[in-house]
Amino acid sequence: MHEFSIATQVLDAAREAAADHGADTFEGITVSVGDASHVNPDQLETCLDAAADSTITDGDLTIDIETEPAYAECACGWSGEPGEIDRALAYAPNLTCPECDARLELQAGNECRLMSVTLPETDDGSDPDAAGSPDANTTD
Amino acid sequence: MYHTSRHPLTDATPIDRLLDRLLSDSGVLGPLGAHRMGHGEDDHEHAGDAEADILAQFAEQADDLHERVVHDHGIFVAEFLGATGSGKTRLIERLIERAPDDEEIGVIVGDVAGEDDATRFRELGVSVANVNTGKECHLDPSLVEGALEDLDLDVLDTLYIENVGNMVCPADFPLGAQARVLVVSATEGDDVVRKHPLLFQACDGAVINKVDIAEAVNADLDLMESDVSEIAPEMPTFRTSAEHGDGLDELAAFLDERGHVHASDHEAYVAGTGHTHAHEHTHADGQTHEHDHSHEDGHDHAHTHD
Repeated sequence: MHEFSIATQVLDAAREAAADHGADTFEGITVSVGDASHVNPDQLETCLDAAADSTITDGDLTIDIETEPAYAECACGWSGEPGEIDRALAYAPNLTCPECDARLELQAGNECRLMSVTLPETDDGSDPDAAGSPDANTTD
Repeated sequence: MYHTSRHPLTDATPIDRLLDRLLSDSGVLGPLGAHRMGHGEDDHEHAGDAEADILAQFAEQADDLHERVVHDHGIFVAEFLGATGSGKTRLIERLIERAPDDEEIGVIVGDVAGEDDATRFRELGVSVANVNTGKECHLDPSLVEGALEDLDLDVLDTLYIENVGNMVCPADFPLGAQARVLVVSATEGDDVVRKHPLLFQACDGAVINKVDIAEAVNADLDLMESDVSEIAPEMPTFRTSAEHGDGLDELAAFLDERGHVHASDHEAYVAGTGHTHAHEHTHADGQTHEHDHSHEDGHDHAHTHD
């Protein structure tokens, strides 16, 4: 269970993004988890929920988890989503290039990204930060 | 060391621009950019440069550690990971025993609890930093950073890091080592490689340990080795019996080579740490560091094979 460390980092990044826009909290986040990362999306969601309860939001945090397939580019010119290793008992991308047999390095799919942050609406429905100045409407 | 990935000083990041656009276009804030970030090929550009890669933050911390320990202090660093009971401690003990007398060795021992492994290393006369992780299942760069306080980096030639016994969690937390070695043993079953494919893909070398009792536990070593080469192409595999000190020559030569190759090819290390594509800035920083003489010195004391 290493998802809690990752959840903490995700929430830190979301808090920073919100603060940059004058919000001291946020209502939702979208996180993308690479298929070839070692992050378990279900556990990450549970950890985000638990960590957010104690540190961030008053109510529920809307958590949206997407998954991202592996993607590799080879020096020989081949690129695409690597196949799976059938013999493996868990998902693993086949890192042998189908064209030239060299080892592939993944360009995507081994990451865990904060994709978006949803900020609360302001009371009067107006734009809290039209000028884009991070500290224009900071409340803390 | 300051990295700009999370706090850009100049241009707004794409997420800032998305926020700004939504903020100025409408008082209602919906999920930002989610509709743009599909899974198709065309979206790679957006996905690649738009958002914070959380795992890359750990990789950057590992790069900082690497700069400090490997380049500033000229220490060769090897990390050993694998399940509890795979033989990591015994293997490191054997490497320590065969090192020349003037090689100054330090060990960072990660364990959920206890001093057992640390005590074994202390009895061999090396410097030891014990890290009890409690409920955490892996070492991370900041835990290693803390452990370095217990070691005198000015005198060390070699640093071994023994990770917490675990076959899943350490994978996403590189520790800045020049060699990341996964230790499995025949007693874990000859399907252990196929059960943990992603961990093998995250390492530089594999050890199949306890080969002396493979027959007794009916483990097919050739199968294990062919699984490694299918799952992690081009990764070297070493068969050892750490208990009896067999097979250590090849492993020691591999570690030695990793140190030497690294001395002349820092970029290969950086490229191998993963998550590089979205974080060129880190590496631009790394490139400014000269590989000074102290780095070479560190490897003069690397393992000999006699």
